[in-house]
Amino acid sequence: MSANPTHRVVVADDDSDIRALVAIAVKKAGMEVVAAAEDGDRAWDVVQETRPDLVILDVAMPGMTGIEVCRLIRADASLADVRVLLLSAAVDESSREAGIEAGANDYLGKPFSPRALVSWLATEYQARP
Amino acid sequence: MKTVYGRMMGFLSVDHPSPALKQLPTASAFAIGIVLLLTVPGIEVTNELMAVVGITLMVTATVLSAILTRAEHLDRYAIFVPIIDFLAIGAFRAGTGGTASLFSELILLPVVWIAAEEGRRHIVIAAVGTSVALLMPYILGITAPKDIAELLRGVYSPFVFALAAAIVNELARQSRAQLQSIRRLADDKEVILQRTVEFATQLQESEAKIRAADRLFRGVWAAVTEQSIIGTNSSGLIDAWNTGAEKLLGLTIDEAEGKKYVFEFHVLEELLDLSRELNYPPGETVLNPGFSALVESARLGRAESREWTYIRADGTPVPVLLSVTKRVDDTGETSGYLFVATDVTQSREVARLKDEFVGLISHELRTPLSSILGYLELLRDDDDNPLSEEQIKYLGVAERNAHRLLRLVGDLLFTAQVESGKFPLDLHNANIDKIVSGSVESARPVAAAAGIDLVAELDDRSPFVNGDSVRLGQAFDNLISNAIKFTPRGGSVTIAVAVTEETVVVTVRDTGMGIPAAELDQLYARFFRATTATRNAVPGVGLGLTITKAIVTAHRGQLDVESAEGVGTTFSVTLRLSGTPALRA
Repeated sequence: MSANPTHRVVVADDDSDIRALVAIAVKKAGMEVVAAAEDGDRAWDVVQETRPDLVILDVAMPGMTGIEVCRLIRADASLADVRVLLLSAAVDESSREAGIEAGANDYLGKPFSPRALVSWLATEYQARP
Repeated sequence: MKTVYGRMMGFLSVDHPSPALKQLPTASAFAIGIVLLLTVPGIEVTNELMAVVGITLMVTATVLSAILTRAEHLDRYAIFVPIIDFLAIGAFRAGTGGTASLFSELILLPVVWIAAEEGRRHIVIAAVGTSVALLMPYILGITAPKDIAELLRGVYSPFVFALAAAIVNELARQSRAQLQSIRRLADDKEVILQRTVEFATQLQESEAKIRAADRLFRGVWAAVTEQSIIGTNSSGLIDAWNTGAEKLLGLTIDEAEGKKYVFEFHVLEELLDLSRELNYPPGETVLNPGFSALVESARLGRAESREWTYIRADGTPVPVLLSVTKRVDDTGETSGYLFVATDVTQSREVARLKDEFVGLISHELRTPLSSILGYLELLRDDDDNPLSEEQIKYLGVAERNAHRLLRLVGDLLFTAQVESGKFPLDLHNANIDKIVSGSVESARPVAAAAGIDLVAELDDRSPFVNGDSVRLGQAFDNLISNAIKFTPRGGSVTIAVAVTEETVVVTVRDTGMGIPAAELDQLYARFFRATTATRNAVPGVGLGLTITKAIVTAHRGQLDVESAEGVGTTFSVTLRLSGTPALRA
C-alpha cells in the first residue's frame, strides 16, 4: 500500500457492522483507525481528542448529523488539515451537494464497495502523502 | 233550455229589449184607449169596421211581438210589429173620429220604436208609417179632408214625427255606440282579469318551485360541515357563512355575516406575496391588493384552487385548499365571490409522514444492504483465504439478489420522489447512442441467459439531448429488461435509435407475449401488472414503467406503446434533440 501507515483515521457510524467494514477498508489501505464513534456528538469529541488525518462520517447518525460534525470541524482552524469523507444512504445529487457545501472532501453513497473505498483512500493519500 | 228567469231577463233586457217589451207601451196605451172608448161618454166609435180592424191589427201586432220574442232567430222581422201598429192605430183612429180622434197621439209610440232602430232608413219608415196612419181615413175614402189645412195636417204631422224620429234615431245611435264602447271595455276588463288570474297561478307555481329549491339549497348548505363556504360581496364583506366555516374558523354566523371581511382570515403576507406576483403596486391602482390578488382568477372567470393559510378566530393557523369563484347578478355582473376551503392539515401531515417513512425505509434498508454487499465483497477479495469455484458461484447468487433488493429500494424511493414532486434531474448534453449502447451492453448477459437475440440499431449521427444520462439510462434499462422478461426463449428484442429533424426516437421492440389492449392505459400506474405478466409468472413489482414514464415526462418527452397479444410490444421514447424546443411545454 502506498499510503503512509502513520495516517490516523476516525470512523463514525451508528451501525457497528458498517464501522467494522470501514475499519477493514482503512487497514487494507495501510492506515490506522484511532477511534470509532457511534453518534455525532461522540464523533466530535474524539475528533477533538485525537486530531486525526481523516474522519469518515456517516450522515444520518443520532445526535449531531455527519454534516453538522463536518461543519464544526471546518469551523475550527486548528483542524484545518483534517480531511472528511461523508458516507450516506441518501444518494441523490442534492444530498451530495449539501455534504460538499458543509466542507467534506468527498461523499460516498451507501452501499459502498470496500474495494472502491480502499482505492479512494489510496488515491487521496498518494496525491497528498 | 232557457230558464223562466232567463226568459224573463231576455224579455226585460234593457240593453237589447225584446219585441214584446217594445210593443208593451203601444199595446198598453191602445188598451187604455179601448177602455176609455167603452166607458167615457162622448168618446164614440164613428166607424165600427175600422175600429174592429184597428183592434184586430193591434192584437195581431202584439201576438207577433210575443212570437218574435220567443223566436230570437226571427229578430229581423220585428220591424213589422210597429209597421202593423201604424196600420192598427190608423184604422182605430179612423174608426173613432178620424182627425178628431182622441187616439191620434198613439202614433208617437211606434214612431219612437222604429226611429230607435239602427240605420237612417228607419227615419223614412217612421215618416211613411205616420203618413199612412194619419191619412188612412182619406186613403180608404171614409172621409174627405174638409179643407187644405186638414190635408196638410196629414203631411205636416208626419214631417214633424220624421224629425222627432231622426232625433231619436241619432240619440239611439249615440247610446248604442256608447254601449258598444262600454261593452268593449267590459270585454277588455274580462281579458285582463283572466290574464291576472293566469299570472297569479303561475306565480304560485313559481313560488312553490322556489320554496322547494330553497329547501334543497338550505339542506345542502347545512350538510356541508367539512368544507368552509364563505360568500362575500365584491369588496369581500361576508354575507354567507356555512356550518363548515363556523367549524373551521370558530366564528358563528352572527359574528361573521355583515361584520367580517374574508381577507381578515388570511395571512396578510401571503396575500401580498400573490399581489406582488401579479404585479399590483400596493396603494396605487388597487385599493386592496391582497383581496384583489385573492379573487383575481375568479374575477377573470377561471377556476383555481390554491393552498392558503386561514387564521382561526383564536389566532391559530390552518392550512387550506381554497377555490374561489365569482357570483353574478341578474345582469351577469360580478356581485361577489364564493370561497370554498378544505382543511388540508391532515393530508399535509400524511404527506410529511410519507416522506419521512420513505426516507426511513430507504436508510434502514440501505444500511443492512451496505453490510451484506460490503462483506460479500470482502469474502470475494480475501486473497488469504481464496474461495472455491462453487463458493464463488453461491456468492454470486447472494450478490445478485442483494443488488435486486437494492434496485427495488431505489425504485420505491424514486417513485415516492416523483409523487412528491421532488425529482432531481442532473441535466447536461447527453449522447443518446452512448446511453442506449450502455443499456444494451449491460442487458446482454441476461438476454443471452434467456436465449433472446438482442439487436441494437444505432444512428451514426450521434444524437444529443439535454438530459440526465443516469435517469435516461435507467429508463432504457427498464424498457429493455421488460422486453427480455416478456419475450419467450428464441425471440428477439431490437433497440433502435432514429433521428428526425428535431427529435430522436428510441424504440424497444420485442416478439413477446404482448399486452391486452384493455390494459394499455393502466400500464403506467404504480404497481400495475399486466395479466400476461401474472399469468406467465414474469417477476416484477410494477414500478418499472411508472418510473420510465416519469423520467421521460420529466425530460418533456413522450412515451408511446403499441402492442398485440402473442405478437409483441414496441415502446418508443421520443426526445427533443439539444437546441430544439421541448415536446411538452
